[in-house]
Amino acid sequence: MAGSSARKIDAPIEKGGAAHGTERNPTDWMVGWNSLFWGSALVMGANVFLWFWDYKYAFVAGLNSASPEFTLYYRTLFWGELIVLGVFTGIWYGWLVRTGRQLANQPFTRAEEVRRIAVLWSIIGVTSLSIYIEASFWPNWDGAWHQTLVRDTALTPTHIPMFYFFFPLSVVLALGAYLYGMYRIPALYSRDKGFPWSFFLLISAAVLECMEVAFNEWGHSLWVSEEFFSVPFHWPFVAYGWLAAGMFAVWGETILRLFEIEKAEEEASGQPPARAQAIAD
Amino acid sequence: MAAGTTTAGERQRRLELRALLNKKYKWIDRKWDLVFWITAIFVVGGAADITKQLFAGDWDFWTDWKDPQWWPVITAFATIIIPSALQYIQWVAWRFPTGATYTAVCFFMCAWVGRYFQWHVAESYPLSFVWPISIVGAAIILDWILLKTRSFILTSLFGGPIWALLVWAFNYVPLAAYLQPAHFMNHVLTVADVQGIVYIRSQTPEYLRHIERGALRSFLGETQYVSLVFGGTVAVAGYWIGQFIGRYLAVWPIRRYIKTL
Repeated sequence: MAGSSARKIDAPIEKGGAAHGTERNPTDWMVGWNSLFWGSALVMGANVFLWFWDYKYAFVAGLNSASPEFTLYYRTLFWGELIVLGVFTGIWYGWLVRTGRQLANQPFTRAEEVRRIAVLWSIIGVTSLSIYIEASFWPNWDGAWHQTLVRDTALTPTHIPMFYFFFPLSVVLALGAYLYGMYRIPALYSRDKGFPWSFFLLISAAVLECMEVAFNEWGHSLWVSEEFFSVPFHWPFVAYGWLAAGMFAVWGETILRLFEIEKAEEEASGQPPARAQAIAD
Repeated sequence: MAAGTTTAGERQRRLELRALLNKKYKWIDRKWDLVFWITAIFVVGGAADITKQLFAGDWDFWTDWKDPQWWPVITAFATIIIPSALQYIQWVAWRFPTGATYTAVCFFMCAWVGRYFQWHVAESYPLSFVWPISIVGAAIILDWILLKTRSFILTSLFGGPIWALLVWAFNYVPLAAYLQPAHFMNHVLTVADVQGIVYIRSQTPEYLRHIERGALRSFLGETQYVSLVFGGTVAVAGYWIGQFIGRYLAVWPIRRYIKTL
């Protein structure tokens, strides 16, 4: 059990770690949960930017995809989103894998493992926010827009933020959360355990959603160019909300791990384990 | 004697639970609860809203779509799915009979944010035309049924039909004003119909709305109630879809692995 290793070591790769020698509580808001605030702020910042972009330009530049205004304001936005997302993914995944490989074989304290679980929860929390934005916030504007205005492209003003930024962002976040866990929380997610069903469901939900975009656009080009939200070829979008239930499995298995860590800590300090921990084990 | 033993056992268990409740852990604190309950709002609200939107969204977007034939049926089915899943998760995890209510409140917030910013502010539709339904009242009753019966089967059998009835009843109150007759261009229409005519939705297929099939009309004034009974029936099915999500997509995968990878 990796968490039972009580050696205190330096972990210079990641700041804020309890193993870093700072003696800070790993569950302090600005230690383990720091990523939750920064991540949420970034996602909300992107969302607010895109909302105001559409609010300002959708009606003046987004109605005719053959117009130069559309190219200037919307095709540029489309490519800009993909580039930003691609660069972010490359940097983040590169950091996760590179540092993860260095950390993989190093022992760590129980406090450090608790901090890592808090960071994982933070990434999951940001993923949850992204899911809400793509499954509720933008579909509302998508419904209002496409039931009102004629579409002449798959890259409509509401599709560009929703389908081509927040949909792939959820894939990036879900897969990033798994990469984080795989290297840093080996008691639950090391490769030798196999691929966790929890992340399989969560990641497949996000990937399926992107694939459904292709089906959706094909369906709109073939069957119904108008917008009827309950049309059957929209129904696969719902699978995303359902499969995202895998997120609860991630929460569940990490909570059980926290109880194991607490139990190991109590045993190490000579306290009898509480009944709750015995139940959890 | 047996009763006395039971009482002593219960007392002992109560003491254990109290000790458990007040136990101080080194790292497990209220922050985990806060983070869980707050961050889960988004995935739960998003899942509930997308399920409703893509199964019954058109009937929920506009007042003039809230007809007596389809609205009570598909809305009941679409809105009970995620509350049922959360009801299972929260009941199994904590014995909290709050899953449906929690989902309903998350859904309420998400739906209103969407309607206000996207439909009202961005697209200039009046909220009196595009307000979202609420399922909070029905969800409280569904949780109460689970609390009393302690059975998912009984909750589905009783709760499904009651859900359909209450979702319709609670949302019929704000809708009723828009079903009043209005004289418009030499025709008697409802106020909701007038809204639908005034606010042009050029990409909403008109033929799906105005040409109604006559079959249920033969029931005259009973149409609404026939639909509600059928809505209650499909809500039972929706409840079990939600149970599947809670049981096999949220709880079953905990610490299970695909070994072949």
